[in-house]
Amino acid sequence: MNQGQTDYAALAAATYLPATAKIVEIREMTARERYYRLELPQPLGHRPGQFAMVSVLGVGEAPISISCGPRDDNQLEMVIRNVGRLTRVIHGLKEGDTLGIRGPYGSGFDLDHFYGKDVVFIAGGLGLVPLRSLIIPVMAEPSRFGAVTLVSGCRNPAEELFREDLKQWSQVPGATVIRLVDATENMPWKFDVGLVIDPLPKLPLDPVKTVVAMCGPPVMYKFVLMTLQAKNLGPEQIFVDLERRMKCGVGKCGHCQMNHLYCCQDGPVFQLSRIGALKEALR
Amino acid sequence: MSDFLASLTQVQQWISSLAARYTVFFPTPHGEANYRFTAIGADDDVRFAPYRPTITPPVKLLVPAREELFRFQHKEDGDLLLSPSVDSSFRVIAGVRPCDLKGIFLMDLFFERGVADPYYLARRENTAIIGYACTTPCTDRVFCAAVDSLDHRQGADLFLTPLASGEILVEANTERGIGLLDSTDLPPCEDGPARKIGAIAARPETYGRSFDADVQSLSGIVEQYWDSPLWDKHTERCFSCGTCNLVCPTCYCFDVRDNLALDTVSGSRTRTWDGCMLPGFAQVAGGHNFRPQPAGRQRHRVKRKFEYLPTKYGHGPVCVGCGRCGRQCTVDIDIYDIVHDLIEGGKS
Ligand SMILES: Cc1cc2nc3c(=O)[nH]c(=O)nc-3n(C[C@H](O)[C@H](O)[C@H](O)COP(=O)(O)OP(=O)(O)OC[C@H]3O[C@@H](n4cnc5c(N)ncnc54)[C@H](O)[C@@H]3O)c2cc1C
Ligand code: SF4
Ligand code: SF4
Ligand code: FES
Repeated sequence: MNQGQTDYAALAAATYLPATAKIVEIREMTARERYYRLELPQPLGHRPGQFAMVSVLGVGEAPISISCGPRDDNQLEMVIRNVGRLTRVIHGLKEGDTLGIRGPYGSGFDLDHFYGKDVVFIAGGLGLVPLRSLIIPVMAEPSRFGAVTLVSGCRNPAEELFREDLKQWSQVPGATVIRLVDATENMPWKFDVGLVIDPLPKLPLDPVKTVVAMCGPPVMYKFVLMTLQAKNLGPEQIFVDLERRMKCGVGKCGHCQMNHLYCCQDGPVFQLSRIGALKEALR
Repeated sequence: MSDFLASLTQVQQWISSLAARYTVFFPTPHGEANYRFTAIGADDDVRFAPYRPTITPPVKLLVPAREELFRFQHKEDGDLLLSPSVDSSFRVIAGVRPCDLKGIFLMDLFFERGVADPYYLARRENTAIIGYACTTPCTDRVFCAAVDSLDHRQGADLFLTPLASGEILVEANTERGIGLLDSTDLPPCEDGPARKIGAIAARPETYGRSFDADVQSLSGIVEQYWDSPLWDKHTERCFSCGTCNLVCPTCYCFDVRDNLALDTVSGSRTRTWDGCMLPGFAQVAGGHNFRPQPAGRQRHRVKRKFEYLPTKYGHGPVCVGCGRCGRQCTVDIDIYDIVHDLIEGGKS
């Protein structure tokens, strides 16, 4: 009595089965974070700010940001922090080993919102990892943007990510890179000390042509947003990249819900005007 | 499509006979007071006995507690085999009450819209549903009429309505439904619509618990509450056990887990029921919990059923008023009481 026209097995394969990606490069970034360059069977075709579900079969699956800019080849860059069951196993893998990948998922950033504007990036800790996927295309064509400012902060000098990139971006014409640590903890450090919000009040932000993209721990948003509002930036000029628990990436498992929105599909990048009134978004 | 008339005995015998050909689930008594949708045998005594909602709703047959998404196997030559585990076996669920039928109808929307869910849709497409109208409230917990599910009919292949005469009106709504009747020789019923109206009119005027607000206004009322002592009041005793989620016909949140076989080269990825009332539901790595308090989780559960999903899907409340969550909560927290209080609070 089957009515079947749809090939559900094929649909299941397309929705939930991971593609096999080969780890072609691993770099130790900090004590907890490693950089991974992966090679996929096909290009993923992602937008900045999107993520993928990364898995080790038999262990589990987790959302991980795509850290490289958009690209046509089948390479992908990620940074993974060792915090739990799956990420510990991933940290035990070697070059040549494989990971499961499905995606890309999420809204991501739309470069059209940034062309012709003064762009400010605010990255706290691991927040630099997803933001880098937008910073790369912006820094690659500085003439298509106004002044570009990157404020990047982390706990101490040993935790700073992408040092080479930060150095290189600071040499891009029209770009300013502000590097901060909460405390030097007696390590050598030639940049600023303080929280990511500290330099913001002094930044000369043009309220008419500035666009901000930010990503960091939940505590960061409130204070940064207060500062930006004091500078007369409107909620349509600010984009935030949020984190939630995610188990499916396709709007079904319910874990990532914030009020009526699903972070995995409606986000994780949101224009502040879309979520400013939501009680569960920025907390 | 077409209507037929049958006696109660004919209908019961016909359902047993279907079990000789197909897997048929029917609400079957377990112990004194509980019913479960159980696969019946062709010799079983099928009876539409005095009913109360089954422990878990029939829609859970379409979203099982633990469901395999795919299997994997690492071959010796280095190849990896992945095979999706889609279940397209045919089954019949008979004796589905209107509230649970509405639950299935809503679940269809959740799994169809956006990224379609192949596992649910494959099962659903291969599941025939035989609904059964209620004539009196099945327990004093129900509020199906207050949330517009008492007269829900959509999604059933066949729908049975007991008539005052003692006969059963059999409505066939799909070709598949007509197919299921092929072993019977029931006389057609010309005045089906009129008889249906008669059956509805014969019901008690106040049917189960009601709200002092009409169904269209509920989402707007619930929307007005965020920081309210009512959320605390209705969670003071809550254990965060998640039972209310697990027994609900419109809860479908899940967790995803991997299982590795003892050979360490093969295994499966499965999804299992999860619940937004459980403490770790919204916790991320690093320990941050976006809903650390039971009151915040209760607010989310209520708003999801009465505000968020109704707004997203546009089919009214996503609570069908079956009363299961209140009945099965150890400490008697009842979503009806919560919504009732929100309605009352909004008046003062
Ligand atoms: C959109 C999005 C993008 C993301 N991007 C990135 C990214 O680019 N890079 C990245 O690293 N992460 C990223 N994350 C976070 C990442 O998904 C989580 O870190 C990951 O899910 C953790 O999985 P796990 O199995 O390793 O941890 P789990 O085992 O699930 O552990 C989670 C938490 O439990 C605790 N825990 C685990 N094991 C133990 C134990 N044995 N004892 C006590 N406590 C324990 C840990 O402290 C941890 O905080 C992102 C998340 C989202 C939503
Ligand atoms: S069943 Fe009752 S105690 Fe358990 S989580 Fe639900 S409301 Fe709380
Ligand atoms: S919330 Fe409670 S009464 Fe409403 S459908 Fe779910 S279990 Fe039934
Ligand atoms: S991650 Fe499952 S719904 Fe968003």
